[in-house]
Amino acid sequence: MNAVDATEHYETSARDPAPALLTVILDTNPHAWALLEDSLPLSKAIANILVFLNAHLACNYANEVAVVASHSQKAAWLYPRENPATTTTTSRDADGDISMNGSSTNNNNNNTATTDGPGQVNKYRPFRIVEEQVTHNLRELMASTTGADVKAANSTMMAGALTLALSHINRRSIAWAEAHGGETAAETSGGGPSSGGRSSGTDTAERLQSRILIISVSGASDSAHQYIPIMNGIFACQRLHIPIDVCKLSGDAVFLQQASDATKGVYMSLTEPRGLLQYLMMAFLPDQRSRRHLVLPTRVDVDFRAACFCHRRVVDVGFVCSICLSIFCEPPENGTCLTCGTNLEMGDYGAKPAVVARKRKKKKRVNGPSGTATPTPTPTPGP
Amino acid sequence: MAMAAAPSRPFDYLESLPGTTFYKLYQQPSTALAIFRRMLPDLAKCFVMALLYLKDPLPAADLEVWVKAESLKERDNALSILGRLHILSNTVIADNVRAYKVTDPFASSLRQALTGAEKTQSFGVLSHISDDVAISITELDEYARRQWEGVLGYMVGSSGLGIQRDVNLSKGVKQLLQAGHLVEIRDRRVEITQDGFAFVLQDVSTQVWHILMLYVESADAIGMSSVEVLSFVFLLSSLELGKSYDKKHLTSNQLRTLTDLADFGIVYQNSPDANHFYPTRLATTLTSDSSALSNPISGSLSGPTGTGSNKAGTGFIIVETNYRLYAYTSSPLQISLIALFTTLKYRFPNLITGKITRQSVRRAIEMGITADQIISYLATHAHPQMRKHNVSRSTSNQAGIPPSVLPPTVTDQIRLWQLERDRVKATPGFLFKDFVSLAEYEAPCRYAEEIGVLVWKSDRKRMFFVTRHEQVAAFLRSRK
Repeated sequence: MNAVDATEHYETSARDPAPALLTVILDTNPHAWALLEDSLPLSKAIANILVFLNAHLACNYANEVAVVASHSQKAAWLYPRENPATTTTTSRDADGDISMNGSSTNNNNNNTATTDGPGQVNKYRPFRIVEEQVTHNLRELMASTTGADVKAANSTMMAGALTLALSHINRRSIAWAEAHGGETAAETSGGGPSSGGRSSGTDTAERLQSRILIISVSGASDSAHQYIPIMNGIFACQRLHIPIDVCKLSGDAVFLQQASDATKGVYMSLTEPRGLLQYLMMAFLPDQRSRRHLVLPTRVDVDFRAACFCHRRVVDVGFVCSICLSIFCEPPENGTCLTCGTNLEMGDYGAKPAVVARKRKKKKRVNGPSGTATPTPTPTPGP
Repeated sequence: MAMAAAPSRPFDYLESLPGTTFYKLYQQPSTALAIFRRMLPDLAKCFVMALLYLKDPLPAADLEVWVKAESLKERDNALSILGRLHILSNTVIADNVRAYKVTDPFASSLRQALTGAEKTQSFGVLSHISDDVAISITELDEYARRQWEGVLGYMVGSSGLGIQRDVNLSKGVKQLLQAGHLVEIRDRRVEITQDGFAFVLQDVSTQVWHILMLYVESADAIGMSSVEVLSFVFLLSSLELGKSYDKKHLTSNQLRTLTDLADFGIVYQNSPDANHFYPTRLATTLTSDSSALSNPISGSLSGPTGTGSNKAGTGFIIVETNYRLYAYTSSPLQISLIALFTTLKYRFPNLITGKITRQSVRRAIEMGITADQIISYLATHAHPQMRKHNVSRSTSNQAGIPPSVLPPTVTDQIRLWQLERDRVKATPGFLFKDFVSLAEYEAPCRYAEEIGVLVWKSDRKRMFFVTRHEQVAAFLRSRK
């Protein structure tokens, strides 16, 4: 009779693990790659990333990949993309729609099938399709970049790429859930603002396992003007339990550290970019299920600096609106918050000696030790 | 548990192969890829990929610190599977440090699979034929469904229920089913065995693996090398659905295999002499372990015949907490399967209703079907509506147990009905009786109890029953 107790009844419902969707955001900022030319040229990096994508596809029959390029003036899909000929924003979206409805690996190879001549190397077809599309679309993206474009911008459209990736993940999760009669991602996470931790076992088994890998080369100061959209993207990921992994090849990106910290992803800054493939295989290939068993490289000293809302400067210490928590690098004019319009009492600010009124350490985590201090403009004596 | 063991069957067979066979198998990139994808647990995949591009073996200590302390069991399990499949090997590097590395034919083949290889035809060669003679995916699905249903129908013997006998099974198929003890021929009639029942209630992907492994095992008997057949099976699994492949690169044994597999609907060819063939969904999803859920074949196999094969959601059975069962199907095969453990009530053009009763379950269990098989069949084919309902219920499930698709009361009851029959337990053993005096009886009886072989005794009748008699007999002799 011992066989009939509550623990064993649920065995049969434990279905095969859900497949994983890996979205790679590749920073293709030409300025940053030019600096890396000696250690890791872009072509070599792409070759490494393609092997990594194949490895991810090899792990499970139903695994999916998506690649977004975060270029200097726009974010563009590299894979999946139905019709590589179009480059305008609107038609790109429409294309995404088509390819994402079906199983993307099977559908969008019509235009690449002709290249499969006898001279080609023998290869598993899903691998070949990803590879051909990514290289083709990337080449096209590079060709469409004019010298003027390169001169005009030296940053990368990380926020746009992150948003594209998120919308793709959302669409795939809904499609997957519908096909399998499960819940949609929105339903599970609707329970309230969670802290990004995995709350229970149920949501991991039944859903498409999505994660984002950002391969970043641009520095932090360039992306300061995208602070708000990037942070919004990060919070969306946190809520949907999508880890953002960051593989940093050069420079150091402030916001991306926060991204992987908030979403419990992996952050690695490569000291030796030449070993990219090994880093990718070891640290970034394990999916969420395997990560439960592995010790992952984490970063202890996360840079929590924020960018101000008024001039997009990265600030260590700034002013925070007590109503909407907007950040300013200097007191707004007339004490009116630029975001919510509240008239803020500035207290004795500006009077000599300088007072650290409402000034606090710029921590993003609002309920941190310093954040618990009351935001009332009580003047405290300066140092 | 029979059901739990069944999906790993191909795995068991592979493990029993000698190391040299693995060496030969791993020469093919497609084999390495298929084994990597299908046979390894998640953690093992991580290990292989992490080690694949390392120049030097990874010291065992490094691997151990990589895994969290509380996941020791998973780590050891992964390492032991990798060892048994001859994928990971232990080496000793300088200073007696144990280290792991991926063994060679496997490592180089997997690397070739990931990056592409020059010379091999390991992933098939596409044949170039014009589109108007090409076979569409729908036609392939229909072909695979018809053939596979024909095989299952032959086993269940559903001809009485009016299944269309338009599928001609070749002699080879029938022999294979017999050789695998899935059916028996008694008085020239086909009778399904206990294994056969277990087989038909499994999901399609497990069934295909089962059949393929039977085929591989029988390959040596009909003069083919099992390694060659096995690597051809893995090659098939890496082909793409809806594409035709050239036959001119295949060896004669592979061509023979191809013809045999066509009978099962695993591949399609216009005629045995055609110069190209198509893999069907049964072949291309071999390395997928998301079994019936995403598999349109099982959907069309189970659902009403002729409906679109890309219909989302493949289940069709609804079970209520009051043991009533509704199945939206008109497939004679599925109806006869459900009838195995259900008392059917009504039959409509696209729906049958019935009730799971104590009697019907007992009848099934008498035939050798286990409760787990019934439950797993019901869960595999549960209607999408049941999954949805179950999800909405699970949010209020405070205990955090993974939700069951089926009503727990029904699954419990089916198990209890099985346990009812298990009240009598047979123990083979030996009876000692006819002792002259009570003293003569007591001493060996106490001795048997002490050495732990005593099962039953009766002081009044001066009898006792033991599982092993040697020591007790020796004891008796020594006292004389």
